Amino acid sequence: MHIAEGFLPPAHAVAWGVASAPFVLHGVRSLTREVREHPESTLLLGASGAFTFVLSALKLPSVTGSCSHPTGTGLGAILFRPPVMAVLGTITLLFQALLLAHGGLTTLGANIFSMAIVGPWAGYAVYRLLRRYGVPLMVAVFCAAFVADLSTYCVTSVQLALAFPDPGSGFLGALGKFGSIFAVTQIPLAVSEGLLTVLVMRLLVQSSKGELTRLGVFLAEKESRSETEAVAR
Amino acid sequence: MLPIDAAAHSSRWRRRHPVDKAVLGLGLTLLAISLPPWPGAALVLLTALVVLLGPAGVPWRRLWRAYRVPLGFCVTGALTLLVQVGGPGGFVSLAGDGPVRAGELLLRTSAASLGVLLFAFTTPMSDLLPRLVRAGVPAPVVDVALVTYRMSFLLLDSVRRVRDAQAARLGHTTRAAAWRSLGGLGATAFVRAFDRAVRLQAGLAGRGYDGTLRVLVPEARVSVRFTTASCVLLAALAVLTFVLERPLT
Repeated sequence: MHIAEGFLPPAHAVAWGVASAPFVLHGVRSLTREVREHPESTLLLGASGAFTFVLSALKLPSVTGSCSHPTGTGLGAILFRPPVMAVLGTITLLFQALLLAHGGLTTLGANIFSMAIVGPWAGYAVYRLLRRYGVPLMVAVFCAAFVADLSTYCVTSVQLALAFPDPGSGFLGALGKFGSIFAVTQIPLAVSEGLLTVLVMRLLVQSSKGELTRLGVFLAEKESRSETEAVAR
Repeated sequence: MLPIDAAAHSSRWRRRHPVDKAVLGLGLTLLAISLPPWPGAALVLLTALVVLLGPAGVPWRRLWRAYRVPLGFCVTGALTLLVQVGGPGGFVSLAGDGPVRAGELLLRTSAASLGVLLFAFTTPMSDLLPRLVRAGVPAPVVDVALVTYRMSFLLLDSVRRVRDAQAARLGHTTRAAAWRSLGGLGATAFVRAFDRAVRLQAGLAGRGYDGTLRVLVPEARVSVRFTTASCVLLAALAVLTFVLERPLT
């Protein structure tokens, strides 16, 4: 769920835009460099963007019986790395704002910060950390997707609490209110997204090892293993 | 094709330059969030509705289908403003100015959403994306966005077909089967996206692909008359808000 158009006061909308800008610019620079060096990457990156967009349109059965959409940030971060996800996430959020009326243009900065920056970075950090300590791949994938999903909505709650502090208890009270609606209810959905990501990853390992190697997923695996061995030595 | 983009392709304002529509639609959105919600956002909401259903010719049913999505988030978010945590009324009590704040927030978000919908319902993505290069967005990013846009529809169509095939094979009958089908659906989307990209790459390489995607963009000129009229309308709304603010508050 993204923050809707016009929901944030102008100062907050601008501030979140400014906070997101360095991450998006860094992603744009690395994407531009990649495309200049390997022109064929345009199509693969476009395919990755389309996959992220379609993934966010899948209906996810929740543990509580309701239905929601996966954020796709955890899987995206593992497959494409967080800097690229900042750009792909921005493109996806722009499409969602203009094609699906999800989110908005004035709240794009805030949504980018939660969904295309914090979510992927948190998920990727958990994934690398767990793999470094030899945690099985699918457990690491589950934890990465769970953390990426939940951190996205926790940041959304913080953004809303900063914009609308509670008249009685200020920021903390508002955080409790928005958190109970947008973050606590998200826990079963984060579990669902974790399970879905594991299922997708398991099938990808079986059927698309070539693509995963090209994306550097298995390279990152090897790096993690050699780092752990170096630390052990 | 997604309903908003399909409507944009058949819009009355399809041939207008995106800048014309951005000045009006996004101008209304900016006014909605920067003017006092009462009466500013209410005036913007009314104006956006009149323009959408009148000159822009957007069918109200399609508009409602798109509009109810942000409205759901706004109502959920606004409900939290009705209560306060802590204070003399107990742990959780009704906030004194809660209804006013919630009402103002609903007005502001509704008006701002309609401004963006005015732009989205009249401007196809295929008209907008190639022009972003002139606005300073790096060409490789625009190219990636263009491929994403075009591939999304194909992929959504593939996903729909796979889901139908799974349903026909009793793939959604039990909870476990539904999870398995969903996992398969996500993995198939990934495999199809990459397969399509590789085939597209092979096709483009055979046509002398040098890293730049050249697409035909429909010819359109920025209408001075339209943008001036839009600016006058926006200025009139701002002035009217400040004139009416005191008598109506």
